[in-house]
Amino acid sequence: MEIGASVLDFATVEDASQIQVDASPRGAGMHADSAVEGNRGSTVADGDGARDGSGEEPNGSAQPQGGRVDAGLIEKLREMLGDDGMVMRATELKVYECDGWTLEKSSPEILLRPRNTAEVSAILKLLHRRGIAFVPRGAGTGLSGGCLPLSAPVMICTSRMNHILEVDYASRRVEVESGVVNLHVTNAVKARGMIYAPDPSSQVACTIGGNVAENSGGPHTLKYGVTTNHVLGVELVLPDGEIAELGGEAEECCGYDLVGAVVGSEGTTGIVTRATLKLTRAPEGYRTMLAIFDDVDNATRAVSAIIAAGIIPAAIEMMDQMIIRAVEAAFHAGLPEDAGAVLIIEIDGIAAGLDEHARIVTELVRGAGAKEVRLARNEAERLILWKARKRAFGAVGRLAPNYATQDGVVPRTRLPDILRAIIGISSRHNVRIGNVFHAGDGNIHPIVLYDERDADETNRAIEAGRDILKACVEMGGSLSGEHGIGVEKMAEMPLIFSPEDLAVMTELRRVFDPDQRANPNKVIPVPGSCVEVTTPRRQVAL
Amino acid sequence: MKAASELAREFGAIVGDAHVREPIGHEARAATIVAEPGDADEVAEIVRKCEADAIALAALGSASTLAQMRSTPVAVGVSLARMNRVIAYEADDMTVIAEAGLTLGALNDLAATHGQRLPLDPPHPDRVTLGALVAASHSGPIRLSEGTARDLLIGVRFAGHDARLIHGGGRVVKNVAGYDLMKVMTGSFGTIGIITETTFKVRPIPERYTIAATAFRDADVAFAAATRLHDAVPLIHLEVVSAAVASALGYGEQPGVIAGFGGNGQEVAHLIAQVGAILGAGCEVIADGEAIAAYGRLRDFDPPDAALCAQIAVAPAELASCLRDCRVEYRAHAGSGVAQIFVSNAASAEDVRQTVARWREIAHRGRGHLRVTRIGEEFRAGVSIFDEPPPAAFALMRRLKTAFDPRGIFNPGCFVGGL
Repeated sequence: MEIGASVLDFATVEDASQIQVDASPRGAGMHADSAVEGNRGSTVADGDGARDGSGEEPNGSAQPQGGRVDAGLIEKLREMLGDDGMVMRATELKVYECDGWTLEKSSPEILLRPRNTAEVSAILKLLHRRGIAFVPRGAGTGLSGGCLPLSAPVMICTSRMNHILEVDYASRRVEVESGVVNLHVTNAVKARGMIYAPDPSSQVACTIGGNVAENSGGPHTLKYGVTTNHVLGVELVLPDGEIAELGGEAEECCGYDLVGAVVGSEGTTGIVTRATLKLTRAPEGYRTMLAIFDDVDNATRAVSAIIAAGIIPAAIEMMDQMIIRAVEAAFHAGLPEDAGAVLIIEIDGIAAGLDEHARIVTELVRGAGAKEVRLARNEAERLILWKARKRAFGAVGRLAPNYATQDGVVPRTRLPDILRAIIGISSRHNVRIGNVFHAGDGNIHPIVLYDERDADETNRAIEAGRDILKACVEMGGSLSGEHGIGVEKMAEMPLIFSPEDLAVMTELRRVFDPDQRANPNKVIPVPGSCVEVTTPRRQVAL
Repeated sequence: MKAASELAREFGAIVGDAHVREPIGHEARAATIVAEPGDADEVAEIVRKCEADAIALAALGSASTLAQMRSTPVAVGVSLARMNRVIAYEADDMTVIAEAGLTLGALNDLAATHGQRLPLDPPHPDRVTLGALVAASHSGPIRLSEGTARDLLIGVRFAGHDARLIHGGGRVVKNVAGYDLMKVMTGSFGTIGIITETTFKVRPIPERYTIAATAFRDADVAFAAATRLHDAVPLIHLEVVSAAVASALGYGEQPGVIAGFGGNGQEVAHLIAQVGAILGAGCEVIADGEAIAAYGRLRDFDPPDAALCAQIAVAPAELASCLRDCRVEYRAHAGSGVAQIFVSNAASAEDVRQTVARWREIAHRGRGHLRVTRIGEEFRAGVSIFDEPPPAAFALMRRLKTAFDPRGIFNPGCFVGGL
């Protein structure tokens, strides 16, 4: 009983207020029937587990939303996973209180680290019988609060399921466990001239499972596509513990494209334990250029000029002056600190054609006002540029104690407009905003700087972020290019989707998760209560 | 079931009497009457009426896929022939929004004026509507380099259960907001709603285009050469064809490899040398206009007088051995693990049933599956068009069908597992 008591102690004031805030609109919202199902699920196991030792305790009338972790359950989990397979100490759980979206924090009551599919299935069966909600977690590098536990006491981390199971070079397939780090896939196959194409900036740490959940992108998705274009099959443990093999090694679907539905579902369809990925042949060569501009306006015009000319580089990335200076201070990559903006443009493909493509791109960006175009002379120089780009977010830590990254998308031709809008929003809310983003896709990443100790500035940062997303939507764009909706952008979903759209998406989610216990309170807002839900939660978290 | 005349009157009240007609040609295998709505609201009203009166309906496209799928016609075929507008062609953004009744051919005529194309290439693009392209996930040779409909569809609108007009995705090329309804609609064969509008990424047409073709003494040697090519150079397409198909396409009487590649002048010159070295002395190279014409014939290849056709999709490395075991004529998208296979003669219904069962077993061994794409009406009984998904996946599919089509009106009874 001591164990149970100590776990309950973890329910902080913050957690309790979240539960209240989230619970009230949910019951009254459009998913009233799901609340009923949830209750039914939670009362399946009857009898007093504390006395009979079965662990099947009644949930009681005070059952919190998301269910309760009790001593009986903990004992069963310990038998299965061992002491090193679970984390319960409050100090250790602090590590898991947020992902890269740090505006909101909430620790799980217990963190589980299963070693294989069978253990994930057994865990989920236990939770299913008790009506307990859970949050899947990869490496926690997400940027939208996707693995923030909200009324979900159990977190299930895939970090110990990190084996590359089979590489089939002839078919260009690799099967991996979901806890495998993204970059490790490419590292395992590059000696044979292959890569795993999606390359999020966090690729040294982020996991394939997290990539699948978030449909992650990266700089080179301009040419190669995002995660969903490279996942052929998944093994999914459903929230009731059943194991479903979806898709496989063949390109065509047999029935509905459930793999496509699971990729990007942000952990709300269950826990992906394995994935079959496509491998891509590494390009024969690269030309990587740094185009230097006096201002952001010309840089964005150069992007439009390249795309409009029918050229699809492997990547076109932009950094503005604030980011250039932060990166230089941190990494000394040789970026020009007096430039208003730079573009990193990479062309890849058949070696014979690269110089000609590079010449055309150089002409186009000069025509758009680039004052200088530098070509990386060798692989070392190329890697320095990419290191500067991929570590830009880390460098931003020098500029302010906290930052929030936005992820809006606009049609590529509207890049100059959205960047002008961001400058206006920055001055209107009196917050500093830097820009480092995937320009070729129209996927912006404005970085809003703030100090969380300053409540007013923090609120201004949140408001500035919202205004940027609204501006993206007004320009025909979307809320998120690759970071996911998570909790961060839930309130904005009605800007781009009607209540009917959101209802259908919820129906799709419930195909996999009828009780909505997999990563609850994410992606789809409860109608009519978004602002009321999120604002106090944010205040609680700050 | 209501008589055709009664259906015509009732649906004429929604779309106008002038826009309800009798089915033409093989449409008759798909539907009893054909309604031609003028906009998405009319499509929604058709759905509302069908749900209220328990009337089965299906989007038709050119009806060629539906006619093969259905053993009995639905009451109402919905033709989107009048919904064929381009809503927005944003050449500089390389995106296009168009109504689902527009044909791929018409869209690509417009795209070509911008030096672009929607790079999906099923046979006869003039007969394939965008709605059918998505619903049946039609593809062709260039899937090797450009992907399939699921890779290019970035937004979708459809009329679903309760006459709701639903949209997923958007008009930007990278977008993870909300669940991916595009994937759910792609390859759903009209069983969960009627697609009314599609938004696609388009791509530039390569500056230069070249085909290299070589005949080989047998299929194994042809596939081995194809594999070497695939490993060595980036190709637009890589087709391996059986002797009969090679002959029909004018490539001689032996199995052949037909590889397409492109790029700028330097790239093409370099590739011609590389590809030529791999394919050997018999390699025949044609370029630009001549190559485009040859590509059109390759894309449009349709086995004449075939009694039974199917699409097999397996792990790419297994394709050659699967085709050998199937003992069929074929056009194979080597590298993608997908092939159209066919036999010209079928003795009896029992013969067809056994042939399909044997092909399926081979496809399963190749870690894939098989879909029958053409079968004579006389052989239909007892032959399942679609393969069976594994049980847990199928349970989810059944729930998906029930969630999206609780009244069971959308092209019912002929998809996987009778969904």
